Amino acid sequence: MQITVDMKRCQDHGQCAIAAPDVFRINDEGRLEYEPTADESLRDEVEEAADVCPVQAIALLDG
Amino acid sequence: MSTATIDSAPFLDVADPSFSITSDVVKQAREQSWYARTPYGLAILRYDEVSRLLKHPKLRQGSLSWPAHNGVTEGPFADWFASWILNKEGEEHHRLRRLMNPAFSKKLISGLVPRFQALASELIDGFADRGRCEFVSEFAEPYAARVIAIMLGLPEEEWPIIARESATIGLALGVTIKQDLPKIEAALQRLYDYADGLIEDRRENPREDFVTALVTAHRDKDSLSFQELRDGLVLLIFGGFDTTRNQLGLAMRTFVDHPDQWRLLAARPELGGAAVEEVMRVNPTVRWVTREALETFEYQGLTIEGGTTVHLFSESAGTDPRVFGEPSFDLTAERMPHFGFGGGAHHCLGHFVARSDMSEALPLLAERMPGLRLDGEGTWLPDSGNTGPITLPLAFDRD
Repeated sequence: MQITVDMKRCQDHGQCAIAAPDVFRINDEGRLEYEPTADESLRDEVEEAADVCPVQAIALLDG
Repeated sequence: MSTATIDSAPFLDVADPSFSITSDVVKQAREQSWYARTPYGLAILRYDEVSRLLKHPKLRQGSLSWPAHNGVTEGPFADWFASWILNKEGEEHHRLRRLMNPAFSKKLISGLVPRFQALASELIDGFADRGRCEFVSEFAEPYAARVIAIMLGLPEEEWPIIARESATIGLALGVTIKQDLPKIEAALQRLYDYADGLIEDRRENPREDFVTALVTAHRDKDSLSFQELRDGLVLLIFGGFDTTRNQLGLAMRTFVDHPDQWRLLAARPELGGAAVEEVMRVNPTVRWVTREALETFEYQGLTIEGGTTVHLFSESAGTDPRVFGEPSFDLTAERMPHFGFGGGAHHCLGHFVARSDMSEALPLLAERMPGLRLDGEGTWLPDSGNTGPITLPLAFDRD
């Protein structure tokens, strides 16, 4: 599964990092970092991360 | 000695009840410096610094010590306050947030839109023929309380109980908390009774609704305990009511000053979402978001001592000319995000609900209340902390 974050919209709230800590992380500067691909086994938590993003900046692509 | 003498930063007496966050004093301070000293600590005034500090890892949410600072250290209220997800940090916070977030998802909320529309129309029907209304008691208050009743699956006619008990618990955020404590704890108990009934019912009779989503929420083998559920439900009632009521009143007050935008919203109801964002940018009910420094750290050359209270001024940031240019109110403008829902780990849990219910209400109000104008000055909460109208008499042209 491929993950994209619209970094122009992202406000580094970090709700995704709470929902899916294996994929999203807030670094020491308070900025979002993420893995652009993730294993299928993480689908539920990545979908949840996309759902809870306050600015709806996360998109998932299959494959 | 005042800390204001330590450096050249402006001083704002935010503890003075007559202090206004929208006053020229604050605007001048914002031009002078990105921060000001206050009796509590610091106020952050500009967009970029508010945005960064709102999510800064060295700052925690800042209201945890409020009851203790006012002599309330034990009992049901102190326990409940300490249980707030807002007052938790780190993994303890993240666990609760993970379990609670899905119930507040956009998908689940969108199913309630027709109910929100029907409710708004019913309330407007109650005063449309008169060409005037007292907006808070005739719309904002019943709307905010009945939205909560709809979410929880409570009978909507019981909304005055939600409104009354929430208002009583709200006394806890004022400086008279200690003397009001018996009343506050009685109100808290009545809301707990509601919550307990709801939890028991949904455990036995799960259905497609918000409370069932919370009761059945799980992550791996973890789920919310009975105590966490009742604490969370009472917080939701309390946190969702005042804020929505106040924000709707503030929205109307802003539109009174911008009749062209009111007409635009009536003509283009799809701008309801944009209207909510634009109102919350220039006139947010949460005038400041509170943080507390976990340890001493440097930020842009300023040393922020551990324990310092930092108030992030949302309206000041939302109208910062560095980002938004000359003052304007325009539903069609592309804007940077506002901070009316706070931000970071503690970003408002119920923001999809608030955004959805207000974006349905405002276009219906605009359609049915053309020629909107004040019908008296109304009465107002202090213009700091959480603000809004206590009463807001409005007049409009009858159909």
